[in-house]
Amino acid sequence: MSDPEGSASENERPDGHRAEEAVETDAFPGESEEGESDRTPGEEREHLTEDVEKDDARKIVTGEARYTADYRDRFPDLAAGKVIRSDIAHGYVEAVDASEAEAMDGVYAVVTPWDDVVPDKAYSSSGQSYPEPSPWDMRVLREHVRFVGDPVAAVAARDAETADRAARKVTVEYEELEPVLDPERATDPDAPRIFDPDEVENKQSGADYERNLESRFEGEIGDVERAFERADDDRVVETEWETPYQSHCVPEPHTTIAYTDEDDRHSFITATQVPFHTRRQIAHLFDVPVRDVRVTKPRIGAGFGAKQEMAIEPIAFALHLAAERPVKLEMSRREEFYALRFRHPMRMRMKTAVSDDGRIEAMDLYTLSNAGAYGTHGMTVANNVGTKPLPLYPRVPNVRFEGDVVHTNLPMGAAMRGYGAPQGHFAVESHMDEVARRLDLDPVEFRERNAVREGDVDRSVAILKDGDRFTREIRSCGLRECIERGKEAIGYDETEQPDEDRLYRGVGMALLAQGSGVAGRELGAVRIRMNEDGSFHLQVGGVDTGTGADTMFGQIAAEVLGCHPDDIVVIASDTDLTPFDYGAYASSTTYISGEAVKEAAEEARERLLHWGAKMLDEPADRLATGGGEVYSEATGESVTLEDVGYEATYGHDEREQVLGDGSHSTDESPPPYGAQFVDVTVDEETGEYEINEMVFAADCGVAINPALVEGQIEGGEHMSLEYATSGGLEFDDEGNPEVLGFRQYGMPRTTDHPPMETIIVETHEPTGPFGAKSIAELPTNGVPPALSNAIRDAVGVRVTELPITADDVRAALDERDR
Amino acid sequence: MQIELELNGRQRTFDAAKSDVLLDVLRRNGYTGPKRGCDTGACGFCTVRIDGDPRMSCVTPVAKVDGASVETIEGLGDQNDLHPIQAAFVDNSALQCGFCIPGMIMRSKALLEENPDPTETEVREALSDNLCRCTGYKKIVEAVLDAADRMNGDAPMAADGGAGAVDCEAPPWSQGGGDTE
Ligand code: FES
Ligand code: FES
Repeated sequence: MSDPEGSASENERPDGHRAEEAVETDAFPGESEEGESDRTPGEEREHLTEDVEKDDARKIVTGEARYTADYRDRFPDLAAGKVIRSDIAHGYVEAVDASEAEAMDGVYAVVTPWDDVVPDKAYSSSGQSYPEPSPWDMRVLREHVRFVGDPVAAVAARDAETADRAARKVTVEYEELEPVLDPERATDPDAPRIFDPDEVENKQSGADYERNLESRFEGEIGDVERAFERADDDRVVETEWETPYQSHCVPEPHTTIAYTDEDDRHSFITATQVPFHTRRQIAHLFDVPVRDVRVTKPRIGAGFGAKQEMAIEPIAFALHLAAERPVKLEMSRREEFYALRFRHPMRMRMKTAVSDDGRIEAMDLYTLSNAGAYGTHGMTVANNVGTKPLPLYPRVPNVRFEGDVVHTNLPMGAAMRGYGAPQGHFAVESHMDEVARRLDLDPVEFRERNAVREGDVDRSVAILKDGDRFTREIRSCGLRECIERGKEAIGYDETEQPDEDRLYRGVGMALLAQGSGVAGRELGAVRIRMNEDGSFHLQVGGVDTGTGADTMFGQIAAEVLGCHPDDIVVIASDTDLTPFDYGAYASSTTYISGEAVKEAAEEARERLLHWGAKMLDEPADRLATGGGEVYSEATGESVTLEDVGYEATYGHDEREQVLGDGSHSTDESPPPYGAQFVDVTVDEETGEYEINEMVFAADCGVAINPALVEGQIEGGEHMSLEYATSGGLEFDDEGNPEVLGFRQYGMPRTTDHPPMETIIVETHEPTGPFGAKSIAELPTNGVPPALSNAIRDAVGVRVTELPITADDVRAALDERDR
Repeated sequence: MQIELELNGRQRTFDAAKSDVLLDVLRRNGYTGPKRGCDTGACGFCTVRIDGDPRMSCVTPVAKVDGASVETIEGLGDQNDLHPIQAAFVDNSALQCGFCIPGMIMRSKALLEENPDPTETEVREALSDNLCRCTGYKKIVEAVLDAADRMNGDAPMAADGGAGAVDCEAPPWSQGGGDTE
């Protein structure tokens, strides 16, 4: 069967201006063909907008792809670690008795907060740039425990089974303190205090630990109060929204192997999105030089932000130092569900004023974020609640955005795919729909009138920053085409109502935006080197978390160098072997690391042209690369890259290795855009609903590998579907977790997914590599607002809390009918 | 204790502790294709076939497979000689991080042997115990349906990486012999 959105239909894509010229990858043998020499690289695309096979696909389907835990065979004396975690929500560890565990056969070490090998230093586990925009508020092992799951001690033993048994023999005595679990209650002056201010370094703006505030922030454009005062009362709408915890459900649990090699260098094979940040953080924490730390990322079982954290590496390293042998630490699924990282729960309030002719005059958004026990990514995620969705409406003259980030004795939020934007879009895009309906406007037309257009100047993205360095011009925006094509695909204008009386059908839409990297806070670097046979090694710091980034890097390099992607060997994400990169987060990999690849390839290409000029006896500026050759447009003469490789490497009078370096950083972060549509049928008696179809139309600039882009969209929608319908964690009133496995957590299965249609709307982003923007996070934002809007459309009630259950809908219907 | 089993068509003997589950024994002996995602039979990443049936190896006591025939992902094709199901996953871009894929493929193989021409609903039901966090399942379901066509001989076989690309030379396994069973 053929995928309707796949490459088979590529040539028919109405938007693909250049798709019809695309060359079939497999038709390209690297040999010269007739007519090839009039190809101009850069104008056509040989390896872009092509579904080039994912470079690790074959080893994945054969089971040969190696993830961290699969490296055990390299380490004959590998020990297994196990973490002992707090079973109270708040208190102090008074004593740890490990004597029984230590006496057990096969136990190599037990470490506690007081051990010499355990640094007594405040740090942040957030895999962010330096200094992290997250407070340094945690320690490797914790005397002051702040949630059920805080690591207190750890064991290294012969094998996992022995480590488990030993861990159960370790007894911990606590002085218990009253916990605080509700973020509103936490800011009361008499609420239990979770941090002493002197327990925290690198505090973030607005921190007030007397009130459990990790951060408080605000920003304003224009004068929001005045705009509300001037507006007609009946054209001012205020709404409130609430979102729950969400688990990454990262397929491969956090896993790391820590060892010291024969050169006395501290090494990690680890499931991380941020090898270079981890290297720096380990060096700082353990007081060793950066150069003596090596972090290698093998294949990883995805990250979704859970692995944008140095969550377990320091514990593994301390165990390794104590046990004096390599240690593997692998989290259990249970730990993933209560002790690792989550999406921050939030409560949001949105208020807008609308003019008589349907223009938005003012927007005011407030968020209260529950950071949980630690502040990793707390402020920055909350910032993105506003700075991602508000830029959908950049022409609104008065905008205010404020937030409080509050600690509670619950698990910590952290980075999770979307990074505040899923919460923000639920508030903003459900709100906009509600506004339109209350003012008797068509929700789609209302959006089209106010939403971003090419050429707009967007200040709201920088609303929390001083000055206008990060104000951005929108250079590519396919939002209107996303809306039009999405409407058509879902049948927006012709929804047929079901025959049965109690069943009502509705369609909802949400607009979406994200960024492409963190503006002004990214760096990606690359080196390309040529081999004598005309192939290349591409050393790139960028991190493939399973998305296919390595494949995309190869496509970009091949496109510039004029070779086949198979002729590029990608070496990625090893701090010893590759140039630097900030890592895979904030949807930065294609836009930042991909651009660095392009720059490096362009530099190498200059050298190819130099050698081509020499060999063809023609000026370099008359030459081009393509089809595995350097060729002359004018004469039709060519030399193969292999000839160039041998000549450059072994030439008689002159030799060089053809190299190219790229190092990319920018203040730009162009938003990709999307429109999510949901078609729902609601049973008015029970409140039960069924999603009939979901359509997602995305503008990610030029899709370098459309099949991989579709995969990102479909997977993002999966997470978003869960967020809307079935996710969430529960705790008892002492802060004990009640969701501890896949069976209790509502991760959608094959049978839970409605039909999904994916539409790629191509635009060209002039600042991106070959016109590309990001895609990975955008599709996690859409289903909650689109579903809430669809239910509103179907039965006229508004659900404001996630996940949306039949009971919520039923309760809203009861309210309506009262 | 010692466990004797037929593993991917070969007679093997492994040392094991009584408390071991099959997943531990497989992984310890280099069969790292089956993945550990939960250890409680709730994710399907460790799916293998025991006497033909799809089973979660993380909750299968190793003693239970003594004398049984076990098939893991390692028993299917290799990278230049993919089994049609593997090829269909590759060609349909039905994988991202890949952590769920060995289990998905083993589950799909069991399905297609029992029901060579499943409907989409049947595929979705058969795979419903196997989680995937990356793909949204769409391309996986498409790959399994495509694999059924390939195995029934009514689709062009093109393990060339182009989703749905046609007109390629048939890869070697189409001449038979890809399956090691
Ligand atoms: S590891 Fe066996 S089902 Fe999850
Ligand atoms: S591909 Fe990552 S879990 Fe399925």
